[in-house]
Amino acid sequence: MTGQPGYIGASASITAEDVPALYEGAKFYSPAVGDANRSSITSWLAGLLDRNGPVPLLRVEAVPPETACVSVCVLGSGSAMADLPPAGDEFEVAVRQIERLQRVSFGAVYPLAAATISALVAVVAAAQLRVPLLDADGMGRTFALIHHTAMHLSGVSPTPLAAVGPTGESVLVEVPSGPRADRMLRANVDTVGGWAALAAYPTTAGVLRRAALPGTVSRIANVGRLLLDRTDPDVLVTRLGTITGCRRVARGRIAELEHLSRPSDVTIPAHPSSLVIEETGGLGRQLRIELRSEIVAVFADGALVAGAPDLISLLDVSRGVLATLDSLEPGDLVDVLATPADAVWYSPRGMEMVGMASHGIPLAHPRRR
Amino acid sequence: MPAQGDDVAHIGVTLRPHRAYAAVVHGATVLPVEPVAPARADLEGVVAAAVGVALRAAPGGAGAVTVDLAPLLLDTLVRTEAEVPPVAAVRIVPRAATDPALARSPAELVERRIARRWTVAGGHDLLGNELTPLDGDGLALLCEELAGTGIRHVAIVAAGSQARPAHEREVADAILAAVPGARISVASDYGGQGLVAREATVVIDSALTALTERVLDRCERTLARLPGSLELRVARGDGGYSTPSRIRVTPVVAFGATEALELCGAAHLAGLDDCRVLLSRDGRPVAGEVRHGLAVVRPDVPVGIGTELVVPMAVLTGAPPDSYPGGADVPVIRPDAPPHVLACVGAAISQPASWLDEVAFIESAAELDHVRRDAEERATAMVMANGAAPGSTRVAEVSTVAVPYSPSGTIRIRVRVAGSPDTSLAGR
Repeated sequence: MTGQPGYIGASASITAEDVPALYEGAKFYSPAVGDANRSSITSWLAGLLDRNGPVPLLRVEAVPPETACVSVCVLGSGSAMADLPPAGDEFEVAVRQIERLQRVSFGAVYPLAAATISALVAVVAAAQLRVPLLDADGMGRTFALIHHTAMHLSGVSPTPLAAVGPTGESVLVEVPSGPRADRMLRANVDTVGGWAALAAYPTTAGVLRRAALPGTVSRIANVGRLLLDRTDPDVLVTRLGTITGCRRVARGRIAELEHLSRPSDVTIPAHPSSLVIEETGGLGRQLRIELRSEIVAVFADGALVAGAPDLISLLDVSRGVLATLDSLEPGDLVDVLATPADAVWYSPRGMEMVGMASHGIPLAHPRRR
Repeated sequence: MPAQGDDVAHIGVTLRPHRAYAAVVHGATVLPVEPVAPARADLEGVVAAAVGVALRAAPGGAGAVTVDLAPLLLDTLVRTEAEVPPVAAVRIVPRAATDPALARSPAELVERRIARRWTVAGGHDLLGNELTPLDGDGLALLCEELAGTGIRHVAIVAAGSQARPAHEREVADAILAAVPGARISVASDYGGQGLVAREATVVIDSALTALTERVLDRCERTLARLPGSLELRVARGDGGYSTPSRIRVTPVVAFGATEALELCGAAHLAGLDDCRVLLSRDGRPVAGEVRHGLAVVRPDVPVGIGTELVVPMAVLTGAPPDSYPGGADVPVIRPDAPPHVLACVGAAISQPASWLDEVAFIESAAELDHVRRDAEERATAMVMANGAAPGSTRVAEVSTVAVPYSPSGTIRIRVRVAGSPDTSLAGR
């Protein structure tokens, strides 16, 4: 990425050389899914950027306010996507469907979530459509449902939206309510193979200036560069802290994985699980970590020490890489990291939507006590 | 019957491109083997010298010879001029890729072994639901074209075949009918995550078949000429071993074994079951771990391959020299012995092992228990097929995790089973 005069700390464009850092940084902001399709996705994106040229990365304020913009993401399971890779046209097709419906030509793309594979497919879509990518997103991490966005909190509708599966089949959804849109999509996503390319939240750059979370794409690139510089985990956590505000909650070995640890909330994919970690050194505490599709709470000797909407991740200390939730093993030595989410999620409405109570843990967030 | 019990020594051999190395292990005694001229340093010479060392070291002589084929396999795969049979790759997915990067393996090393590719419409989701019926016309055309190419090694991968291998099997049956004698590798035999990783695994499997056959034939002839009843074992990527007959049909399982063997060898020399091992690779410090006497392994991207594989192996990661991140809660060792000696020791002490990595769907805690028990039983059956004595097997690792962003109840289950050698298998 090349620096743009007057825009310190961000980037002007995304090139093939930036892809590894984007991938790693995107994983930090959603450490749920492993690397089963890392090489495939990164080589796809790098090839596109080599063929079509770098994708301009622009601040929302740098785009004319009337510019039509649309978000894209991977809806559903990263594991399903790894086993059923994209044919390659799904994201472009999804965007074109909304363009036809609205009789509009989108002038920019932005990620619904600048995290996990969803961050990379936003670059894919921008490269394929030959439009800029906005340095903004709707979540600043990932949440489970498509209306868990800053745009939704600002009154922007996710619809009309289009979801295109790897089978080539597609669904167009037009409903007045974000939560209804998510529920309608879930069954369809399972039917087309467990994942789909989603194009949603069509709006203008003017609206996004107040409704999207700024700087989140360049942020993952910066985080990714730190993660690629394999270093001592203590140094890495310190460096990450300067960019993300993350802190180490504890270091310990995974002692137990427990399933169906709470009643399942049918609106949230992935059943509840718990992880027990025995702290090594320090206070020798026993940590209990509550999982859904992401980590939603951390208890130390029974006391809540971090919880949603904090971004909670695990760093595999022995390997110096993020531990993804689909590959945890008893005996692994991990650092439990807690990173503040974007401020909007700590508002009353944000907490109601994605806080711990939404996961069946009706406790006050540590920040509120 | 082979020699067995405490009075026998075991031999570990690692085959390098230009020579072989061996070590003899008898209890706590480790004896590196160095053939004395005019003895040769190839497989035959080194094994013969090792058997001689074993006879002098242990009353019962040598019991088993465990061979690490991995360096030879990797060298053959990497060298462009190496004689590797051309491989046909068949993907069974709902739609063919529209982007060239998605139509091929991201790993150049894998792709250059693929002489022809076909995509046949079909496939299932992770839970085994059919997404697209298998395209019979496309399959018939594939068979016709394949028969005309002269290619006889075929790697087949279907979306969702870990859950439902029906499409892979139907394609394999049709190819066998059209191309009698074809050597077919199907991804459902290996489980694991990710179509690209599963495809790379079966392509490498196909590419290495002929070489593996030749090397194992050599090993068996060598042992047959030597005194006593020596049992041949083959080291696996996870640091365990399997029987030659199993490795002949699944050669990729032997791929990448050296790193796990080095870790276990270092731990054995240090007299430790749990430790972190610091090694050197091309002058860089790297580290791996041993837990409960087994190398910590994962499906990952092996060095020099460029894409993920689904067979587990020890992944050595960069490590600051002389340190353990965050302070050691296990001993940290830096072995003095050279890497080839560590690999030989690790091979000599290896145990029969198996690995299983699947996705399942559960709706209750009772169902989870059932799924887990079923997986453990199948992994146990596998480890016995790999050479474990009945009643000696143990579940070394079991992990069940919910698959994120999937329908509630979707879990990934991984089981690793180890056992004690069944010494009645010599000559099998």
